[in-house]
Amino acid sequence: MSDSPTEVLLIEDNPGDADLVRLRLTESKKQVDVRCVNRLSDGLAHIESKPPAIVLLDLNLPDSHGTETFRKVLDKAPHLPVVILSGQDDEALAMKAIHQGVQDYLVKGDMTSRNLERSMRYAVERQALLRSLEISRKQQIEFKNQFLSHVSHELRTPLTCIHQYASLLFDGISGPITPEQRDHLQIILKSVNQLHAMIRDLLEATRAESGKLRIEPRCLALVELVGQAIAMIRPVALEKRVRVELETQDHLPLIYADPDRVLEVLINLLDNAVKFTPAEGSITVKLSTQETDSEFAYISVSDTGRGISPEALPLIFERLYQDPDSIDGNRSGLGLGLFIAKELVNLHGGRIWVASQAGEGTTFTFNLPIYSLAKLLQPVIVYQERLRDAIVLVRVDLKPLATPVRGNWKEVCRECLDLLRRCVYVDKDLVLPPLATNGPEDTFYVVASTDMERVKIMITRILEQIGALTHLKAVGTVRASARPVASLDAGQKLTLDRQIEQVARSVTEMVVADLSSMSSFNQKENNANADAN
Amino acid sequence: MQTQTERTEAPNFNRAKILIVDDDPELRMALKLRLRANHYETVSASDGYSAIALALKERPNLIILDLGLPAGNGFTVLKRLQESDALSHIPVIVLTARDPQANELRSLDSGATAFFQKPADNNELLQVIRASLRSASAWGTTLPS
Repeated sequence: MSDSPTEVLLIEDNPGDADLVRLRLTESKKQVDVRCVNRLSDGLAHIESKPPAIVLLDLNLPDSHGTETFRKVLDKAPHLPVVILSGQDDEALAMKAIHQGVQDYLVKGDMTSRNLERSMRYAVERQALLRSLEISRKQQIEFKNQFLSHVSHELRTPLTCIHQYASLLFDGISGPITPEQRDHLQIILKSVNQLHAMIRDLLEATRAESGKLRIEPRCLALVELVGQAIAMIRPVALEKRVRVELETQDHLPLIYADPDRVLEVLINLLDNAVKFTPAEGSITVKLSTQETDSEFAYISVSDTGRGISPEALPLIFERLYQDPDSIDGNRSGLGLGLFIAKELVNLHGGRIWVASQAGEGTTFTFNLPIYSLAKLLQPVIVYQERLRDAIVLVRVDLKPLATPVRGNWKEVCRECLDLLRRCVYVDKDLVLPPLATNGPEDTFYVVASTDMERVKIMITRILEQIGALTHLKAVGTVRASARPVASLDAGQKLTLDRQIEQVARSVTEMVVADLSSMSSFNQKENNANADAN
Repeated sequence: MQTQTERTEAPNFNRAKILIVDDDPELRMALKLRLRANHYETVSASDGYSAIALALKERPNLIILDLGLPAGNGFTVLKRLQESDALSHIPVIVLTARDPQANELRSLDSGATAFFQKPADNNELLQVIRASLRSASAWGTTLPS
């Protein structure tokens, strides 16, 4: 401790005890500056406004008792040294407090100026040591992550060179090659791709560890995504004579997830399944919902491989875990795939788990949140834990300028919708998925958190650019009509979640009402109302 | 590509001149060979300063730009290109070993048309080059220069 007075915060409600502590503190030769409060709430307020060097804490106060008292102090100031003072000689409570991060425990009756001073000095020193250990641990992780990120970047440059020149040879650009040379180059290119995938995994795992993995969820049809994954893996499976099948229940709800990330998880699981399934075996992907769970959709990947041993099961999602029995001579990668898969599923709010019987195959199952308009709207309409002030709904009508339209108009609309989705700001505006199955394909809706004129100008501009990009003079006119979403009764003091649900409901109602009022849509009105939710 | 004008325009894309900016001579050469095999004309620069000088002199139809460069990194080049009336219309494809999470949006916001991380898929890159050249020429007819 330095020579300037040590600031001590004494939280003690008994005036006699407080005086005793003051007395003991003045007896010791150290310069101290004692501030005494008798309620925990006052103590916490003081810690916040002017953190002391150390806290001396009585556990039984008018507004808090026992373990609750030190927990609240540690929650408020995890890095502050705390010494507990108590009248009772309670070893069990003392140990509990020490385990949770309190530095020392003194019984008031036994307190001398010497042991009080000593206890305080050691408490401050120990706390400082702990703090510096924690900081250096964080620095080490950060250093390791930066190092890995730097290394994987540096590895890319020579890898790119190998890839470029091998593919120049392979494509015959550097001159004619023999079929045998072509085969050899193919092996080089395949290995380059493997190395590339490993570098990518290394970076992803590093990011996962430092909490920097990001997902961009949207509204998705799971069947389409799984179909895509299966189509990607099927050639490899066929080569090994392994069948891949898809089983799905009827009326699977839409999910709310990041398509690229979910595809990554699926490919990972399928890749593993193919790797560990012998010829003539099969892999089954099942999609389902559960009656007891309205929040999640379930995806499972089962194989008829040799299964995972009970000892390995709990380790399988660990970083760098590799099956020691992986005997098929394949390069097995870095052992990061399942770790990354788990991190990605967790980021979506889902879980992933595995069940396996040695000799009978393995089933990986994960779940992903079912889509709701409220979830989709949240990032756009909420800012700093509050609903944004201006929320508007914009209708965008695509109208062909020139007739006849090149190609299929439906196709054109879908392309434009796709481009528009990619052009809006992730956290400021949002192109809604169709709220009615029979809605017209050239009308869509955007929810934005800005004023109406700005959002109209923005969408008009984006559509002009899309027109130029796609060489489609057809997307010339936008009839964007914007309306504010009905302002919600602030006096109701609803929770944020309820407010978001209310906005979602208003948006749905506005869209449904708007669609029914469109003359061309009148015949289908009933369908729209039925599908609106 | 159905109308007469578009049909005559199409071959022009293949004679387009592309400026390659990369400080690695071997990568520059590989890219040059790949682009020439696809009938593009190429010029190349190895640093940020000569990239701008060459762009002004050669007026390329498209630029392929690395981010880690001596004498003015890729973002500086993007900024200089944007500031120049003569060059701001040229589509720029960023091709870099750097992390997309930290650099993709920044590149696009700084005026790049597309972002690729090395090693990039050659077919994808060639497709984006083609699309960028086409949309640049479409812009050229609609925008005041």
